[in-house]
Parts: sequence; C-alpha cells; structure tokens
Amino acid sequence: MTWSDVVAVMPEVIVTATAAILLLVDASIGRRAARTWLPLITVLGLIAAIISGPFTVASHTAFGGFVVVDTFTAFFRVLFCVLAIFATVVAPAYLERRSIPAGDYYATILFSTVGAMTIALATDLITVFVGLELMTIPVYVLAGMARRDRYSNEAALKYFLLGAFSSAMLLYGFAWLYGLSGTTSFTGVAAAVARYGLTDGATLVALALVTVGLAFKAAVVPFHQWTPDAYDGAPTPATAFMSVAPKAAAFAAILRIMIGALAPLGLDWSAVFAVLAAVTMTGGNVVALVQPNVKRMLAYSSIAHTGYILAGVAAYQAGASASAGVLFYVFAYGIMNLGAFACLIFIDLDGTRGATLDELNGFARRNAGGALAFAVFLISLTGIPPTVGFVAKVFILGPVLDSGLVWLAVVIALNAVLAAFYYLRVVVHMYMYEVDTNAPRLLNARLLSAGLGLGAVATVLGGIVPDTLYRWALQAAAPFIR
Amino acid sequence: MDHLLTLLIVVPLVGLIPLIAFFRDVRAVKQIAVVTTFVELVLSLVMLAQFHVGEAGFQMVESVAWIPSFGIRYELGVDGISVLLIPMTTLLTFISVLYSTGGAIKERLGEYMAAFLVLEVGMVGVFMALDLFLFYVFFELMLVPMYLIIGIWGGPRKVYATLKFVLFTLAGSLLMLVGIIAVYLASGDAGNRTLSLPELLAHPGRFSGTFQFWVFLAFALAFAIKMPMVPFHTWLPDAHVEAPTAGSIVLAGVLLKAGGYGFLRFALPLFPIGTQAWLPILILLSVVAILYGAIVSVVQKDLKKLVAYSSVAHMGFVTLGIFVLNQQGGVGAVLQMLNHGFVTGALFLFVGIQYEKTHRRQIADLGGLANTWPLYTAFFGVFVLASLGLPGLSGFIGEFLVLVGTFKFNPATGPGGLFWGPAAAIGVILAAVYLLWMFQRVMYGTVREAYRSLPDLSPLEVVCAVPLLVLTVLLGVFPQPAIAIISPSVQRILAFATDASQVVVR
Repeated sequence: MTWSDVVAVMPEVIVTATAAILLLVDASIGRRAARTWLPLITVLGLIAAIISGPFTVASHTAFGGFVVVDTFTAFFRVLFCVLAIFATVVAPAYLERRSIPAGDYYATILFSTVGAMTIALATDLITVFVGLELMTIPVYVLAGMARRDRYSNEAALKYFLLGAFSSAMLLYGFAWLYGLSGTTSFTGVAAAVARYGLTDGATLVALALVTVGLAFKAAVVPFHQWTPDAYDGAPTPATAFMSVAPKAAAFAAILRIMIGALAPLGLDWSAVFAVLAAVTMTGGNVVALVQPNVKRMLAYSSIAHTGYILAGVAAYQAGASASAGVLFYVFAYGIMNLGAFACLIFIDLDGTRGATLDELNGFARRNAGGALAFAVFLISLTGIPPTVGFVAKVFILGPVLDSGLVWLAVVIALNAVLAAFYYLRVVVHMYMYEVDTNAPRLLNARLLSAGLGLGAVATVLGGIVPDTLYRWALQAAAPFIR
Repeated sequence: MDHLLTLLIVVPLVGLIPLIAFFRDVRAVKQIAVVTTFVELVLSLVMLAQFHVGEAGFQMVESVAWIPSFGIRYELGVDGISVLLIPMTTLLTFISVLYSTGGAIKERLGEYMAAFLVLEVGMVGVFMALDLFLFYVFFELMLVPMYLIIGIWGGPRKVYATLKFVLFTLAGSLLMLVGIIAVYLASGDAGNRTLSLPELLAHPGRFSGTFQFWVFLAFALAFAIKMPMVPFHTWLPDAHVEAPTAGSIVLAGVLLKAGGYGFLRFALPLFPIGTQAWLPILILLSVVAILYGAIVSVVQKDLKKLVAYSSVAHMGFVTLGIFVLNQQGGVGAVLQMLNHGFVTGALFLFVGIQYEKTHRRQIADLGGLANTWPLYTAFFGVFVLASLGLPGLSGFIGEFLVLVGTFKFNPATGPGGLFWGPAAAIGVILAAVYLLWMFQRVMYGTVREAYRSLPDLSPLEVVCAVPLLVLTVLLGVFPQPAIAIISPSVQRILAFATDASQVVVR
C-alpha cells in the first residue's frame, strides 16, 4: 500500500474517519450539545467526502488492482454521500422521541455508506464481497436499533438471517467463478467465461448462484421475502436509508459484475433479467395495492422499483444509454423513496409501526408543507411529470425499447398505472378526507421539514432540468462500453 | 414580443408566487387568481391578433434544446387550429376562476386557485407544444390539478370519481409514452434522433407500416380515452357529476379537446399508414358515440349527467370529422371543438348555478324555473339551442360541416358516407329530443314553492355568461373568420395524412 493508494480512496477514508470521530465525540459531550453537534459532524464529514472526490485520480487502479477509481465510482460516491446526508437530516427528532442512541445511528449510517462506496470501487470479486458485507452488517444493526420494539427485533433478525444466507450464496458463486478462471479480477473472470461459454455446466452454476445472490440483495421477486418485514419493522429513518442505499449499492454490484465481468454471457442473463424485472415490478405493485399500512405499502412499492431498474439492466445491449438509465433511475429513486419514507416520520406513533392510510386522513390540514412534500415524492414515484421520477422512467423505457424488449416496455407502462392507484390513494387520504378525532399526534421537526423541502424541490427540478444528471450518468456508464 | 408563447406558459406560474405569499387571505387569493387569468386571456388575444391568417404552418415558433443528450427540445408554435383553441382555453379558465370567486368554493380557496393556475399551464402548453416529449409533459401536467380539483372540492363520490379519471387517463397516456419513445428511437440513428414535430414531418416516410400500425394504436388509445370515445367514456359521467362547477367547465371545455387536438396534431400527420389502417374502426366508434351518447342522454335523470353524456355525442362528431379525412370534416371538427368548449362550458356553468341555488340536480325535482328566473331561462335557452345545433348558433356550423364531410367520405372498401352520414344525422335529431325535453321539464311546468323566492342570475354570473353567449352567436352567424384561420392548417395536416406515397405502401 502506497500513499497514492490512500489518495485514491480519500472519500472513503474521510467517511470512515468521520464515523470514528463521531463515536469519540458522542462519548465525550453532553446530551444537549450532542443534539446539534452529532448531525452537524456527520453532514460536514459527508460533504468533505463529496468535495474530495474530484481530487482522486480518474481511471486509476489502486491496491494492486483491487479497486479502480473511474467515473462510475465518482457517480456512486456522490449518490451514497447525498443519501447519507438526507438520512441524517431527517432523523434527529425521531431518534430523540424514541430514545434511540443518536451517535450510534449516525455512525452506523456512515459505516454502511463506506461499504456501499467500496462496491462502486470494485474491480475484483473480493472487493465487491467485502463492500457488500461492510454495507449490510451496519444495516442489520440499523434495523434493530429500536431495541425494545419487537418488530424492530424481528426486522433485524430476519434481515440478518436472509442477508447472511444470500451472502453465502453469492460467495459460493464467486468461488465457482474463481474455480473457472483462477482469478478474482473482473477482467480475468470475463476472459474465462468467454472461453467456456454457458455450455459448460460450471459456468451455469456460477451464473445462477451469482444472479440469485445479487437478486436477494436487490430484493428481486421471488427473492424479496425479507423486504416488507425488514422495512416495516425498522425505525422509520433507518427504513428510509435501507430502502435506497443498499439497493443502489446492489445495482452498482450488478452492473460491475454482470456487465463488467459476465458480459460474455450477456445474451443469456439479460433474457432472465427481463423476465425477473417483469415479475418483480408486477409482484411488488400487486401486493402494494392491498396494503392499508403506508410504510408496508412503500416497502412493497420499493420492490416494484427494483423491477423497473432491473429492466434497464436487462436492456444492456442498448449500450451506454441502458447503464445510464439505470444510474439515473437509482439516483432519482434514492431521493424520492427516501423522502417518501421520511414523510412518515411526522406521524408520531408508538413503536416502529408505520401510519395506516386512515391515520393520514387530513394530513394536509395538519401539516401543509409535509403533505405537499409527500405528495411530490409520491407523484414522482408514480412517474408523472414534471418530476424526476417521470424522466427516470423515460430513460429506462428508451433502452428497453431500443434493445427490442417491447413487451417489457408495455409491462412497465401498465405497472405504472397499478402504482398510480396506491400512490395516489395516499394523496386522497391526505387531501380529500377530514381529520379523524383520534388522529395520531404529529412530530414537530424543523430539520426534517427543511430536509424534505429540499428533497421535494430537487425532485421537481430534476424533472424540469434533467440534462446535467443524465449527462453525468452517461459519463459514469462509459467504463462499461467497450 | 418574441416569446409570446413562453410568456403564456410563464404568466400563470408567476401568478402562483403572490398567491402562495397571500395564501390565507381569501380576498387577496381571489384577486390574484382573477387578475392572473385575465392577463393570460389578454395575452392570448394578442397572440391571436399577431397570427398571420392564411398561412398553414407553425408561427411564433420558439425552439431551444432542453434535454440535448436525449434529443428533446423545448419547442412551441401555433397554427390555425391551436391559435383558436388557446384563447378558448384562457377564456374558459378566466370564467371558471371568476365564477369560483362567487362563493361556490367554501374552503381551501388558496389551494383551489393554485390548482387552476397549474392546470392552465398544462392546458395552454398542450396546445402549443411541438416536441412530442414536451407535449406529453403538458398532457400529464393537466392531470394532477384536475385530480385534486375533483377530489378535494367535488361531490359525495369524489374519491371514486377522481381515481377513476386519473387511472383511465394514465393507462392511455403511459402507453402513448411508450409510443413516443418508440418514435424517438425510429426517428434516426443514435446521435440525430428527434421528437420535434416539424423535423419529423420534414422527412416523412421514416416509419414502417407495422410500426405505424402499433404506434398509432398507442397514441389513439391515449386520445380516445381523453376525448372520450366510446367505449372508453365511462370515467366521464362520474368525473363530471362529482366535479365542482368550474372543474366541469374546464374538463369539458378544454381537457377533452386535448384528445381531438392530439389526433390532428400528431397521430394523423405522423402515421398516415396507421391512420388508414385504424380509420374504419375509429369512424364506427365515432358514430356509435354520437348515437349512444344521445340515446343515453335521453334517459338521464341527473341534469349534470345528461350534459356529460351529450359531450360524448358531441365529441363523436369531432372524431368523425377528423377521420373522414377531408377538408369539410376537418374544419368542422375544429369548429365543433370550439363550439363544444363554449356551449358545453356554458351548460355546465348554468347547471352549476342552478344547483347552487336549489341544491337539486335531479330533473324530476326541478320544474317551472322559467317563472322565477327569466334571465337565467333566456341564457340557458340559447345555450341549449346552440347545443342541439340550431342554425345561426355555433353548434350548427361545426356539425353541418362534419356531416358534409361524412357524406363525401368514400373509402375503397367498407361502408361509405351514404351509410355513416344518415346514421350520424340521427344523432342530431336525438340531441334535439333530449335537450328540449330536459329544458321543458326543468324550466316549464309547475314551480315548487321552495324555489319561488330564489334569486335570478347575480351580476357576477351574468358577467361569466355573456362572453360565452356572444361567442356562441358570433361563431354561429359569422363563422367565416374562424374558418379562414383553420382551413389552411387542416389542409396541411390532411396533406400529410393522405400522402399518396405513404398510403400506397399498405
């Protein structure tokens, strides 16, 4: 390890250091001071990490070829830091109210963020695996952070068991790939699978195991069963983070491995991915339709969004536009889905349970700003212009049609109608029903409101002027185009 | 003014700023909304005055790259069709907003007016967008405000009605979105793809026959649901019955036109082969709509539902006129759109006024209102007569031209104009039946005691009704200026739609 290796991963170093400093500060200052300083340190550390990104050398491999810093890395570094900032800003009032240790929460978010960033750096199966574990283990902890809540316990345990199971599956797949190629580097694996092809049984086993492992991580139907309980039981700010960052990281891993290492088998896995995408979006949406609990509904809807993103991966033959579409969607989804979950923080219920539709009745009268932000996120998730969610769908539909998957494009369009039904029903309850007499209390949270307001503005702006982000996504997809 | 069209899009958005600043002040909100929509109306009239009559192509074009990496442009322009539909839109919006200041809306006025201003952006934008993507954005932008207007300020079954409205519309428009992206991908090689209508039309013949067949279907579904054409019309009566009066005016007056306009502006010129392929079915559905809408109107017990179903019939004339693919039919269809905007807008206004006073909408509960409300009866009578197509009022000229066009319709195979013409003409007779019978039951007969003391039209209501009345008469007795504006553009569209070099391919 040389000094230049350390410079290459400077943002990751900064985030790790911030987490360590945070834990020290948390141990040494009083409760009142902690309330201001802990979130502030977290956000400042993350901003410093974003700023340090451009100073790392582009297209530079480091640590003996285990990591690479390219435009793809740069894109995900910013995305993960932005999501972590958002997840930090929305949390304080909730943590205070539920007496969840704030220092632990922020530090765990930061550690998980480092793991996610590591995946984006990977050019080697080992790095991917280390990154995945480093990201998910803190998330298991986040899910269980409301220690005295049974649902939170359940969420953590379920997430941990199925997460460990899927990690084992993935690792076993990696072992097969190593057995085939004698190396764990992406280029070596790509050369080996190109040599053997899918006619070789070992390649098939490896591909199947890796696909299933990654499908678990991204919550692809039918490997999604952990998702609703984990999302529903976790403390709401944690859910907001869990539903976006690990998913974005899973797609970073899918792009790196599937297109980076397994591209020679592309024709075979892309057909499977197209079917999985259709099943995932339809399954997620259909089950979300009947959920009275909004938090659970959003959990299922996030499965549906996995399907849309996966459709973009399945369309990889369309070239840069497919990967760029995936990246754009992941970014858009990150902001709007985190925002939507975070809006539920306003509803002050006991335990980690999310509000039901009826408990949101007349929310627009009780908190006009919060309801407006929630409506913007939901409309964006539905995919109605002028929001970033709409543009993201267009950028997915484009490559899907371009690669000849017309049926999948039609499935996406019809699914968006299904989704409109349950997303808009939330708007109905917030705006069109009167407040119930026994409506739950509302949490008064200035920082949360400010964060959500910024998020909502970003969601609309991203829909009106999407070109910069899309251009950036195209650049980030460039390393995959040979 | 170089950027008049952009100004028309921006003005309602600018109006939102003071509106939000004085959100809780009911008086201020009313004044801001009325002033904004009035400025918008004046600007649209300025646009009409600047329009060069007799030119077929797009005028006042503005074109700026919007999402260059996806070849999407911010491109606006008006031709003889949109230049009339835009002032109609701004007028109906102004009247809707003005009427709503009179006490029909009792709560959350700030949100209500904000919804109308956003809606106006979408409606005005739809009629001048020349980039397919931009058109789609405006097309959908109309959806959310209308969803809120029906859902928040609507009647007892508002939630059911508004969700049905949104889901129907979305189902169609999302398939159109797939179609739009398909057009983008088929428009050229990577790097020079476009969604700009003028560029697409500059080099016709780039879409294959099968491609046109399917993509036309995707577009047609979206527009047919919006119009609505039978059998996609079932959302309309529910939406209209539950919507507040101003919502109904704009929904019937403007939103439905987006469908007919979409056919003329995009579906016909871009996909001549697709048009030819689907034309027999669309003509059949149009005539079915005319007859079905009329027959169902006859038996309606609810006044608002009757007007809603009559819209289905009137929109049938619009699609019939469009798809007979000749000059008379096309011009008639556009005139019918204008006429329907003014007259049905007015009918919904008067049904709303009547409901505000009596709180009854069942025809059986009404009667004898002519005795207590002479002024109301005079206005309402004129609009009813216009709606049934009395010569001298605006309804006649549009329906007449459409029928002339239909009789001239002479396809190579299948039933021709001599079959469809008389069938559609029966619809005109039926319109007289249900409208006059309704008028008789509501206005004449014995008056209920409870209604005797109810006041006639207020000055505000008269102010709302007079412009519509003037235009109805003017368009009826002196349609030539409108026809002169519309004709060249319709001719140009039909030239694309019947382009011999393309149609032969089939």
